[in-house]
Amino acid sequence: MSNTARFVRSLFLLELFKGLSVTLRHMLFVRKVTLQYPEEKAPISPRFRGLHALRRYPNGEERCIACKLCEVVCPALAITIESEQRADGTRRTTRYDIDLTKCIFCGYCEESCPVDSIVETHIYEYHGEQRGDLMMTKEKLLAVGDKYEAQIAAARSQDARYR
Amino acid sequence: MFAQRNKNQTKLDRITAAARAEIDRWIAKYPPERKSSAVMAALRIVQDQNGGHLSHELIEAVAEYLDMETIAVYEVATFYSMYELAPVGKYKICVCTNISCMLCGSDQIVQHLEAKLGIKLGQTRRDGKFTLKEVECLGACVNAPMLQIGNDYYEKLTPASIDKILAGLK
Amino acid sequence: MTDLLNIEINGVRLQVKPGTMVIEAADDAGFVIPRFCYHKKLSIAANCRMCLVDVEKAAKPVPACATPVTEGMKVYTKSVKAIEAQKSVMEFLLINHPLDCPICDQGGECELQDIAMGFGKDASRFRETKRVVREKYLGPLISTDMTRCIHCTRCVRFGREIAGVMELGAPGRGEHMAIETYMESAVGSELSGNVIDLCPVGALTSKPYRYTGRPWENTAATAISPHDCVGSNLKVEVRRNQVMRVLPHENEAINEVWLADRDRYSYTGLHTADRLQQPMIKQGETWREVDWETALTYASEGMRRVIASHGAAQLGALSNPNATLEEFYLLQKLVRGLGSHNIDHRLRQLDFSDQAHAPVYPHLGQSIAALEELQAGLLIGAYPRKDQPLINHRLRKAAKRGAKISAVNTIDYDVNFTLTNTVVTHPFDMPLHLAAIAKVLAEQTGKTPPAAVQTLLAAAKVEELHRQIATQLTQAERSTVLIGTQALAQPNLAVLRNLANVIADLSNSSLGYLPEGANAAGAWLAGAVPHRTTAGRTVPAAGKSALQMLDTSCKALVLWNVEPEYDCADPATAMTALQAAEFVVALTPFVTDTMRGYADVILPISPFAETSGTFVNVEGRWQSFTASVKSLAESRPGWKVLRVLGNFFKLDGFEYLSSEEVRSEIDTLTVGIIPQTRSEVQAPSNTPQRPSLLRIGHVPIYAVDNLVRRAQPLQQSNDALQAMVAMNAHTADKLGVRHATQVRVSQAGQSVTLPLYIEASVADDCAVIPAGVVGSERLGTGYGSIDVKAV
Repeated sequence: MSNTARFVRSLFLLELFKGLSVTLRHMLFVRKVTLQYPEEKAPISPRFRGLHALRRYPNGEERCIACKLCEVVCPALAITIESEQRADGTRRTTRYDIDLTKCIFCGYCEESCPVDSIVETHIYEYHGEQRGDLMMTKEKLLAVGDKYEAQIAAARSQDARYR
Repeated sequence: MFAQRNKNQTKLDRITAAARAEIDRWIAKYPPERKSSAVMAALRIVQDQNGGHLSHELIEAVAEYLDMETIAVYEVATFYSMYELAPVGKYKICVCTNISCMLCGSDQIVQHLEAKLGIKLGQTRRDGKFTLKEVECLGACVNAPMLQIGNDYYEKLTPASIDKILAGLK
Repeated sequence: MTDLLNIEINGVRLQVKPGTMVIEAADDAGFVIPRFCYHKKLSIAANCRMCLVDVEKAAKPVPACATPVTEGMKVYTKSVKAIEAQKSVMEFLLINHPLDCPICDQGGECELQDIAMGFGKDASRFRETKRVVREKYLGPLISTDMTRCIHCTRCVRFGREIAGVMELGAPGRGEHMAIETYMESAVGSELSGNVIDLCPVGALTSKPYRYTGRPWENTAATAISPHDCVGSNLKVEVRRNQVMRVLPHENEAINEVWLADRDRYSYTGLHTADRLQQPMIKQGETWREVDWETALTYASEGMRRVIASHGAAQLGALSNPNATLEEFYLLQKLVRGLGSHNIDHRLRQLDFSDQAHAPVYPHLGQSIAALEELQAGLLIGAYPRKDQPLINHRLRKAAKRGAKISAVNTIDYDVNFTLTNTVVTHPFDMPLHLAAIAKVLAEQTGKTPPAAVQTLLAAAKVEELHRQIATQLTQAERSTVLIGTQALAQPNLAVLRNLANVIADLSNSSLGYLPEGANAAGAWLAGAVPHRTTAGRTVPAAGKSALQMLDTSCKALVLWNVEPEYDCADPATAMTALQAAEFVVALTPFVTDTMRGYADVILPISPFAETSGTFVNVEGRWQSFTASVKSLAESRPGWKVLRVLGNFFKLDGFEYLSSEEVRSEIDTLTVGIIPQTRSEVQAPSNTPQRPSLLRIGHVPIYAVDNLVRRAQPLQQSNDALQAMVAMNAHTADKLGVRHATQVRVSQAGQSVTLPLYIEASVADDCAVIPAGVVGSERLGTGYGSIDVKAV
């Protein structure tokens, strides 16, 4: 490019207008993608990995059998499990903690679970006012599972044929 | 307390003197330290003595008599289909359903027997007369199908021949 | 060498001994062949077929475990044919194996799981119904999931070949075959826990450990068994500072690959409700939890006060024989530093009359592994099967190879190998029988027995039995005489020891001891005996023995991990002495109400797995270990407590920074000590009077120390004896209690009502009343006169 051409371009701010034209096009002609969160929410994939939950079987029995595969697969060492033989002879957890401050939401726990007990739900709006609030215990996880079972089950069935 | 097998509770008296004499004949066939070799004969003898089946007490008695562990005798008693662990009828009809007999129609034989006796395989008739038992090959394939009652083999069976055999068992 | 065969495995040329199986040759050369039923310590069954390998010129793949090598054999373990065969076997094995790995305790350490990763298919072609087996009850130690069983029969072979009792069997045939005990009786062997290690799948697993952990979470620390003088090597598996389970650590010289149930399950007693967490002192009648500073000040002041008012000779220390070498050393250093020689660990011993002639420490007289090579042996007052299960295992191996082992006992114990001759006799008649054996030996060898025992020998009546025992000992090239744990507790120990010496000398046998506890050898070496200091150096004036300390009531007593009502030879006297003592310091991991009754200070010391130290086993092997977990709460390792206590008394030489420092100090002091078990034969000075009825205070296998007594699974097993009276019918007739079920037993002014059992195995005029168990803790000496009356 000659020096003259460069001079003309910079004199008339051609590149500036070129850029502003993009802005103008998006202001006037292109469909808006901005969401008015929290009034509006984005659609999420059935594979979304949000807050954890422990599921139950339809008869109310907890699914978790304390195999500890999630604990060992967890790359952030966020899961702590203790187990025992319950009075009815089955293998059950006495403690199932997920430390959300450690969790990196990789989804390996869900992936490794042989009984689809530990799952990651679509919940991403939660907070803790103190550190302990982000320590999910077995009771808290089961409560999440109980509350959102319909949603969890729907997401699993949507994804079932790819698994 | 210190002994596993309580010596105070001997079960040897469950074996009759006659049976014991017969077992001794078998024991004599083996070297003295291999007394346990007589276990199969001993079990057969006490089974006959007891009317065709073995009780836990008899198994324990044989173990004691042959200086064996009870579980080892029990293993033998459960391994062979010729030993019965529950009471059987007066006539134990053992039908072979192994491959040669099956190919030659043992299914039909079993069906006929079941219909005729009113019991299924593995059952004993209420009157205690017949037990119907399915067994594996008894080595008479040449004349399949076959069955065994007591010490006798009945071969080349047909429904008609079975009727005749059963008529003879009164 | 010419007698080696040339073979080739996967193209690698090897020379192996004739008779070697292909799998052994492959293992030695580092070729991995998958296997389930083959185990190097068990006989060959060849029933799993997993080790099929391809041998050149063989039409079919052959099982490597049951195929001996031949000259010029060419084996291919990874050829297409071999791999195909192994994969097919795997497919068959998985047909009936449940897919319950996530809930199976074996998951993660399962041989089937591992091999399935290498040889299994990802999906099964088997569409039919799988086999299901009903659960079998095998007792409180082993839990079963028999559906998972792959019928390798390792457990059955273990029972028959190693444990010596065939308890597990495989009744049924084909698909109906199932491993079980006869009529679902609990497995009673003292080695039963080993079937858990042997089981390649999750069919037999540990009941106390059931569903509590995963192998990958545990870290293994090595340790030494704290219960018997074998010194079995352990792997203590720890998770988050908690002992999860105990497994054997292979050591061919000591425990091979086995472990006694007592060592395997005693960890279950570690965390009981009565674990002491804080030092406690008694003020008035109330107990107060205090910090260490206060407690140690209180303890040292109390001891000082007694020493000041009554003299140092009124201070005594009693230790349990399972303390570490370092603890024994520091304890005796402390007590001797304070001017007293009253220290002892021989809590159950009754006869100290010839202690000056005792060997420098009780030694087996040979290595543990050498017991296997014996050709003859004589057991005196010994029941190694329950007292030292792995010593018994070696003796059993020797017996199976044809060794002629005999016993002189007071009870016809249920031994799991054939004793060539057994003398069952009254404890006080044992010398007569031993003298008779010695007499025959003297005749046979032409040697003159020592003058000191001439009168004994002259009085002995020789029977055929004695002749046979003597002949066995003289004819054997390698023979031994073993003085058992029970003999060491008998009130006529001195005469038994002297006669054992004579027999060993005359028959040219080795002489060995089977002492109580894990570290009796260490106790003697460290100087935890009243008449000798470290390394067996004699002290000018011997202190009081364990029995004397309690008999004459020392004014101040230090109890090291002792529960006198269960651990001492004479609980009744011990309790009186403790009540009468002015100041009692109890150092213990567990606190009991009884202890609160007599003690003034109770200091929490760390039990097994929480402390570091050294055990010297019966063959003189020093085995050090570190703490597997941190000490619970405020409890502290014993050596640290003693070290600081030494500082409180301003004693010199208590500046150790680690238990290793203590060990190296003992090491320097004991350099050059040769374990000589023979001692000079003395004329017995102590002949106890024979009462009309003598108690035999047999200590059951699961009553030996405070940890084992708290291990619930062990206490529920068949071997955990309850307090009772057992005597033979003849004795019962004499006493007129033949048909009684309950009897009133009186001893030392105390009486208790106990159930009566008629047992033909007990000697005449004796009654077995176990010591160390609940119910007999108020009675007197383990071998004293008792009175039994029908209720």
